[in-house]
Amino acid sequence: MKPKLLLRYSKELILTLAVVFLFTTIILLVTGAPVLAVYYHIFKGSLGSWAKFGHVIKTWIPLTLCACGLLYTFRIGLWNIGVEGQVMMGAIFATAVLRFGVESHFSELYLFLSILAGIAGGAIWALIAGYLKTAGGVNEIFAGLGLNFVAQAIILWLIFGPWKRPGIASMSGTELFPKALWLPSTFLLRISPIGIFSAFAAIILTALMLRYTRIGLCLKAVGNNPKAAYLFGVKPQPYMLLAMIFAGGFSGVAGCLQVTDVYHRLLPAISSNYGYLALLVVMLGNFNVWISPAVAFFFACLNIGSVQLPMMLQLDSSLSGVIQGASVLAALGMQAWRMRIRSNEVGAFYE
Amino acid sequence: MNKIFLRILSIFWFWILIWALPTHPITATAAEKPFIFGLLLVGPYNDHGYSQAHYEGGQYVERKIAGAKMIYIDKVNPADRPGITIPQLVDDLMEKGARLVIANSDDMKDGIREAASMHPKIYFVHVSGDDVLTGKAPQNLMNLFGRMEYGKMMAGFVAALTTKTGKIGYLGPLINEETRRLASSAYLGARHAWENVLHKDPADLKFQVTWIGFWFNIPGVTTDPTQVAHNFYNNGYDVVISGIDTTEAIGVAQQKRLEGKDAWVVPYDYIGACEGASEVCLGVPYFNWGPGYVDCIQAVISGDWKSEWVWRGPDWQDINRPDTSTIGFVTGAALPASAKQSLNAFIKELGAGKTNLLKGPLFYQDGSIFLKDGEIASDQQIWYMRQLLEGMQGASSAK
Amino acid sequence: MRVEVHDIHKHYGPVRANDGITLTIEPGRIHGILGENGAGKTTLMKILAGYTRKTSGYLCMDQVPVDYRTPTEASQLGIGMLYQDPLDFPFLSVLENFMIGQAVGLANQKKYYRKKFDSLAADFDFALRPNVQVNRLTIGERQQLEILRLLSLGIQVLILDEPTTGITNVQKDYLFSALKKMTSEGKSIILVSHKLKDVEAVCNQLTVLRRGKVTGEMKAPFDTDILLEMMFGQTPIPFNRCLQESGRTILELDNVSAPGGRSGLSDCNIRIRQGEVVGLAGLEGSGQDVFLRIAAGLLRPAGGSVMLKDKRMNAKDYHCFKHSGVFFQPSSRLEEGLISGCSVTEHFALQSDHKKFVTKWSDATSDAKKKMTEFRIIGRPDSLAESLSGGNQQRLLLSFLPRNPLLLLLENPTRGLDMESSSWVWQHLHKYCSDNTTIVFSSSDLDEIIMAADRVLVFFNGKMIKDTRTCETSSYELGLAIAGKR
Ligand SMILES: Nc1ncnc2c1ncn2[C@@H]1O[C@H](COP(=O)(O)OP(=O)(O)OP(=O)(O)O)[C@@H](O)[C@H]1O
Ligand SMILES: [Mg+2]
Repeated sequence: MKPKLLLRYSKELILTLAVVFLFTTIILLVTGAPVLAVYYHIFKGSLGSWAKFGHVIKTWIPLTLCACGLLYTFRIGLWNIGVEGQVMMGAIFATAVLRFGVESHFSELYLFLSILAGIAGGAIWALIAGYLKTAGGVNEIFAGLGLNFVAQAIILWLIFGPWKRPGIASMSGTELFPKALWLPSTFLLRISPIGIFSAFAAIILTALMLRYTRIGLCLKAVGNNPKAAYLFGVKPQPYMLLAMIFAGGFSGVAGCLQVTDVYHRLLPAISSNYGYLALLVVMLGNFNVWISPAVAFFFACLNIGSVQLPMMLQLDSSLSGVIQGASVLAALGMQAWRMRIRSNEVGAFYE
Repeated sequence: MNKIFLRILSIFWFWILIWALPTHPITATAAEKPFIFGLLLVGPYNDHGYSQAHYEGGQYVERKIAGAKMIYIDKVNPADRPGITIPQLVDDLMEKGARLVIANSDDMKDGIREAASMHPKIYFVHVSGDDVLTGKAPQNLMNLFGRMEYGKMMAGFVAALTTKTGKIGYLGPLINEETRRLASSAYLGARHAWENVLHKDPADLKFQVTWIGFWFNIPGVTTDPTQVAHNFYNNGYDVVISGIDTTEAIGVAQQKRLEGKDAWVVPYDYIGACEGASEVCLGVPYFNWGPGYVDCIQAVISGDWKSEWVWRGPDWQDINRPDTSTIGFVTGAALPASAKQSLNAFIKELGAGKTNLLKGPLFYQDGSIFLKDGEIASDQQIWYMRQLLEGMQGASSAK
Repeated sequence: MRVEVHDIHKHYGPVRANDGITLTIEPGRIHGILGENGAGKTTLMKILAGYTRKTSGYLCMDQVPVDYRTPTEASQLGIGMLYQDPLDFPFLSVLENFMIGQAVGLANQKKYYRKKFDSLAADFDFALRPNVQVNRLTIGERQQLEILRLLSLGIQVLILDEPTTGITNVQKDYLFSALKKMTSEGKSIILVSHKLKDVEAVCNQLTVLRRGKVTGEMKAPFDTDILLEMMFGQTPIPFNRCLQESGRTILELDNVSAPGGRSGLSDCNIRIRQGEVVGLAGLEGSGQDVFLRIAAGLLRPAGGSVMLKDKRMNAKDYHCFKHSGVFFQPSSRLEEGLISGCSVTEHFALQSDHKKFVTKWSDATSDAKKKMTEFRIIGRPDSLAESLSGGNQQRLLLSFLPRNPLLLLLENPTRGLDMESSSWVWQHLHKYCSDNTTIVFSSSDLDEIIMAADRVLVFFNGKMIKDTRTCETSSYELGLAIAGKR
């Protein structure tokens, strides 16, 4: 990345954040909440201690994984809204594998298999949307939304049906897995090294793939001009499917980690909306591999920190939703601004 | 080359920044003076239902024990707080100095046990759980619950006295031992009134249980309780007993009343649930958590803490006495005076042990024996109710 | 309105697209802007139209200094521009496109605008049907639409950037008479073009740009030699070609029909032999576009057979044709040919070995550098395709041609190239033919076809109606054939 570009990105990011703060402050003022105290508590609640930092990282990991996956689909010009369902499918597949491992002595093996299953689950779900798009011409946004609902329905059915706790019919989730099937985590910060590793691996792999491989180049070519890419000998459809597989695979890992590292069971809200949030993260991150994880970190802080609002200020913590909403608006505003500049001088906006 | 270098540099700074920000690691906050306790509420603290009852119990503790201070987190469930787990919240409460943490929902069972085993120095009260009974509980975890069977029996009792159609609807949350127990108790109360006060044939009493899937409505996940209540009233069930944490049934009953239909409701959990619904509310069985909480905290302070399973009942002297009775029943304005009299008599009989509804012969839904003839149910038998009782309609477990 | 341009600079990093340009455009005149590829013409026009911001310098309108930042502000001041590549909404109807930017509010004002549109179109003799979708129009018709739209916005200064590339002579005549009519109403016209003939035909005054600077000005009548001198520093050598004998048949279309384009293609029997250069003439969308795409495998014929070197290729796709040595290049550069958002280097990387997993950026960059010098492309390897000037985009496209193709199918290969460049391109292409490559190209410039091709095929309304050697025909005869008068 050129230094100038980096400067511009940072400028944009700072500007976006400024807009976010402006919006939020206005809303806080309107609701009569103590503005400074809110920011202070969100900050302290997310970065105020090592334990909290650990929580933030736990949120950051799946968010980053989803964001990395989305970079592939955005690169090829697909709006993979279905990422949410892909997280859920990853979680379902991982749970399915882990259920076999409950009585087993080879828990590590099952944990490993669950990650593979998560990848497979997410990828299959993404492929369905991709296939509908390439073969049936169904817009990936609608297909994705539909598949999200189906995935949610499958989770509910499993929890209420085949995977219910014995004698119990509750939407609260499946039976907790035994400790052996939890991802091992470090004592300090209680973060799972495997989780951290997969997030970093995802970032680096994505960066390398997009920058240095033919796949990355072809994704970009197809994304920017599928007709021309075809003339260059690149068939758009297979690459669209490939991008979907990557997106689904990464989100599937996120879903698997939600099961093995966070909740240790399957529950209806297993995806924690990280898919939708990741879409926002990537947009705010200017579709850039290096900035998106930072934005994901910001959102993770917001998510964890906002728990303080009801506790310390008796405020409804849905205020964090308001902040997220403000971020969406700011992101869209930023996008519009970018387009304006771009039409002014067709400059180097991409790497 | 330059580019790569810059890239590495920027990442480096990014991570340095992140790692540098949290400057002070966890330090044991040894604030000795105020006794801070944490409360994890599954729903909103002002839900006019289960969570609010707990919240007010916490406020009661603050009034009763000098120096006690409550910090609470509400809406503790994965749908409302995506990505947040119970151990995380416990960490947070601890950082704020909490020495005892109360988790109010059955749903938090696993999380609170995990947290308890991670923090042996902190005390945990899991309300509605049975970890002590099952032996899974670590030393610093106890279970607390109220004998709501009695409250539910009273609820069923007034419902049966009121219904004109002989059809009572029970708006159930999810299915587990607790909810089966409570629904069955309501049925027993209703059948008792039907048989012994109204002298009618129990076969003519219809008691339908419909489960929504969770303690409260989660759009898109559970069945909508408002819808279920509507269905009840539309199908001739003129009294609905609510078993869920929130108050949807009251709203629906009021609406039906406006439409000119017969509709009554018996809400649940919170002493103030009938407020503003005098025309439809027959009364409410409620939890009064204050005394139970006070005992737990006092035990910690005085060093008498024991990991035990506590099931507190009503104070039969006066079931609505705030300082002693964990379970109460306040009648609503819609309950006729005659029915009120019968209820009072019923409560007296219960208190004196003259009437015990959990006495055999009682059968489960599938005809198997719950209690043999003359057998009086033990606490364990009541707690682990395996099915709904014979005579009730609705699922005993998942399909 | 008199427009004065004072010392305009526009810098893109180290590139000085405009480097101190000063000129005056008189009201009621057609002012021509000439210059080689990359001279800075489009940049200057974009600045005038508010589409790009200048680095320094100032503009005056009727002696009043003005400053504006957007095309909307420019059009409020009375300046409107017709872009080199039309900027309309292809999926809206003609009338809807016409209304864009003027219809405000929620009320359905279709009737009112319909009237306005009809009267304007009648004024200028433009035969546009208001309810047709814009993507079914020819470039010429889209231009006419855009002109009408700009006029109804009340513009006083109309900028046209290479309006005569890609339209037929007939359409050109309509255009020029429309321009003259507008000047007679006191409007000023700025016309950017590479075609000296056109400029000489309509302009009252000329300014020549070179490397971002003004290198000369001239009032009508013009001296062509001096003009060429001002543009290129030298006079380009004309070229000519007419090959008598030719090799064996490599492409054979028998009774091919296909839908697509404006008129489709019906009952087409064409044989193309090895080593020859075949020009396709015809009104835009008369079937030559469909023919090229069938020959490339981009369109599937509905009937008939397509034989490539005795192999039946009916159901094969372009990649299959490409394997057999067929290479196609479209005329819409930024829509089909180049990938905007990708740099020159990336374009070359994309064509390098398909089987390699890792992209060798250093190889691609050196490739790019080499080709850029060879094809005299002004820019850097990391310039984005869309940031190149129109002519340089075309050169970039041509630089993608493989080394030993069997058959080159080129749509308007010299579109937007200045005279010197097109003659250079043809020299380059003719070299391919001496290595037995066959070239089939379409062009809207009959003179170009006559000069560059051995044989010309004329299309009319989806049919091939004339097949003749270029040495045996004239542009007059071809012009008649194009119009359907054989
Ligand atoms: N957005 C941009 N970024 C960088 N360089 C640019 C950009 N736009 C134009 N240039 C450069 O500015 C110079 C002038 O371009 P311009 O488009 O004005 O040329 P032109 O005279 O219109 O040429 P042509 O006849 O080929 O269309 C070219 O070298 C081009 O590469
Ligand atoms: Mg140009």
